[in-house]
Amino acid sequence: MNIREWALIAFTILAQMSVGSFIVLGIVHFFAARKAGSEESDRLSDRALLAIGPTLLLGLAASLLHLGNPFNAYLAVSNLGSSWLSWEVLSGVLFAAVGGVFALMQWRKFASFAIRNIIAVVAAAVGLVLVYSMSNVYMLRTQPAWNTVLTPISFYTTTLLLGVLAMGAAFVANYAYVQLKNPGCADVQCVLLRDALRWFAITSIVLLGVELVVVPLQIANVAAGTTYAAQASAELYGQNGLLLGVRLALVFLGAGILGVFIYQNALSAGHEKVMGALAYAAFALVLVSEVLGRFLFYATHARIGL
Amino acid sequence: MAKRMAFYFDSSACVGCKTCQVTCKDKNNLPLGVRWRRVLEYSGGSWVPQGDQMIPNNVFGYTVSLACNHCEKPICVEVCPTQAMHKRDDGVVLIDAEKCIGCRYCDWACPYGAPQFNEISGKMTKCNFCEDLLAKGENPACVDACPVRALNYGDIGELRSKLGTVSAIEPLPEADLTFPSLVITPNRHAQFSGKGTGKILDLTEEEV
Repeated sequence: MNIREWALIAFTILAQMSVGSFIVLGIVHFFAARKAGSEESDRLSDRALLAIGPTLLLGLAASLLHLGNPFNAYLAVSNLGSSWLSWEVLSGVLFAAVGGVFALMQWRKFASFAIRNIIAVVAAAVGLVLVYSMSNVYMLRTQPAWNTVLTPISFYTTTLLLGVLAMGAAFVANYAYVQLKNPGCADVQCVLLRDALRWFAITSIVLLGVELVVVPLQIANVAAGTTYAAQASAELYGQNGLLLGVRLALVFLGAGILGVFIYQNALSAGHEKVMGALAYAAFALVLVSEVLGRFLFYATHARIGL
Repeated sequence: MAKRMAFYFDSSACVGCKTCQVTCKDKNNLPLGVRWRRVLEYSGGSWVPQGDQMIPNNVFGYTVSLACNHCEKPICVEVCPTQAMHKRDDGVVLIDAEKCIGCRYCDWACPYGAPQFNEISGKMTKCNFCEDLLAKGENPACVDACPVRALNYGDIGELRSKLGTVSAIEPLPEADLTFPSLVITPNRHAQFSGKGTGKILDLTEEEV
C-alpha cells in the first residue's frame, strides 16, 4: 500500500461518511422539527451540518492525491457514456455543490423551509447516486472480488453506519456547546439528543448485523470463484486474517456493545456525560474498523489475467 | 472493411529469448518497471520419485510473448474517465497523454496488464503498435527483432483466415473478456486459458 492507495481509502471513507451523515441529519431534522419545532431542530443539527462540508472536501482533496497527474482532473467527467469513474467524479462534485448550497441556505436561513427541503432532498439523492457510482467503479468484469452485489451493499452499509455514528458524536459535541453558551435551552435539546442517540444505537446495531453477514459472504464469494484471480483473492483474505479479525472485533465493540450501552444511557435523563463519551468512542472504533475494512477491500482484490 | 491491426504470435517457434521485450524497451525508451511487451514462461508438471530416480510427470513449459492486444472490446477504453484511452480507426488502442490523469483505472481493468504506469510522468503508457514506424511503412520493432520469426502483425481478418483463431492460451485470460486482436499458433504443450495446470515461472523479472 502506498500513498496513492491510502488516498483512495481516505476518499471513499470520507465521501461515504459525508453522504451518510447528510441523510441521517436530514431524517433527524425532520422528526425533531415535528416533535419540538423547527427552531429547536435547527439548534440540534445546524452545527453538525457544517461539519459535513469540510469532511467531504477533505475526501475530494484526498482523491486528487491518487492521481499521477491531478492537473487534468477536470477531464475525468469526459466519459459518462461508459465509465462509472466519470459518474463517481461528477456525482461527487455535484453532491458537494448542492449540499454546500443547502448548508449555506440552512445556516443563513435563506428562502423558505419548503425550498430548502427540496434542495436537501436533491442533495441526498445525488449522494446516493455517488455511493452507487462508487460501487460500480469497482464492479469490473475482470475483478471477481469486487464484481458482486456485495460491493454496493457493503458501501451503503458503511455510508449509513458512519453516518449515524458521526452524527451521534457531532450531536453530543453540539449539546455540550449549546449548554455552555445557553444553559436555559438544554432541556428540549437534551430530550432530542437522547431520542436521536437511541435511534442511532438501534440503527448501528442493525447495520452491524448486515456487516457481519456481508463480510463472510465476500470471502465465500471469492472462495467459491473458479478463476485464478478469485482463488488469489481468497488466499489474500487468508493472509490478512488477523487484520480482518481486528476489523470485525472493533465494529462489534463500537456499533454493537457500545450501541447497547448508548441505548441504555439514552433512556432516561442524567446520563448525558456517559452517553456522550460512549458515542465518541463508538464513532472512533467504527471509523477505525471501516478504514481497516476498506484497506482489506483494496488489499484482497486480484485481477483476472496477468 | 478498414484494416484492424493485430499481432500474431507463434508459440511453437518462440524460444523465450526476450529479444522482443528488450527491443521494445529500447525503441520506446521505457523506464524501469514498464514493459510494453513481455515474455512469460509458463510451465507445470512434477517429478515423482521412483526407486532412486526422479521421473518427470507431465512436465511441460512454453513461453508467450505479449504486448497490448488492441482488443476489439477494449475494457481500458470503456473505463477510462477522460477518453485519453481511445481506439483508432485502424484498431490501434492509444493513450492521449495530454488527457491522461494517471488514475490507473485502466490498469485495474485490463486483463493483460497492458496499460502500465510511468512513475516519472505520472501517466499511463502502453504499446502503441510502434505507430511512428507503421506510419513510415515499417514493421513494429518487436516483429523485426524476433530472431525466430515468432512475431508478426497485420489485419485481424487476414491473420485469422491464414493462421487460425486461437487467442487464449495460458497464462492469458479467456478471450471473451475483451476480444483481443491476437492470433496465436499454440506451442505443442500449450494449455487453453482457464484449463491451465501450470504457473508463470519468471516472476522475479516482474521488476525489470
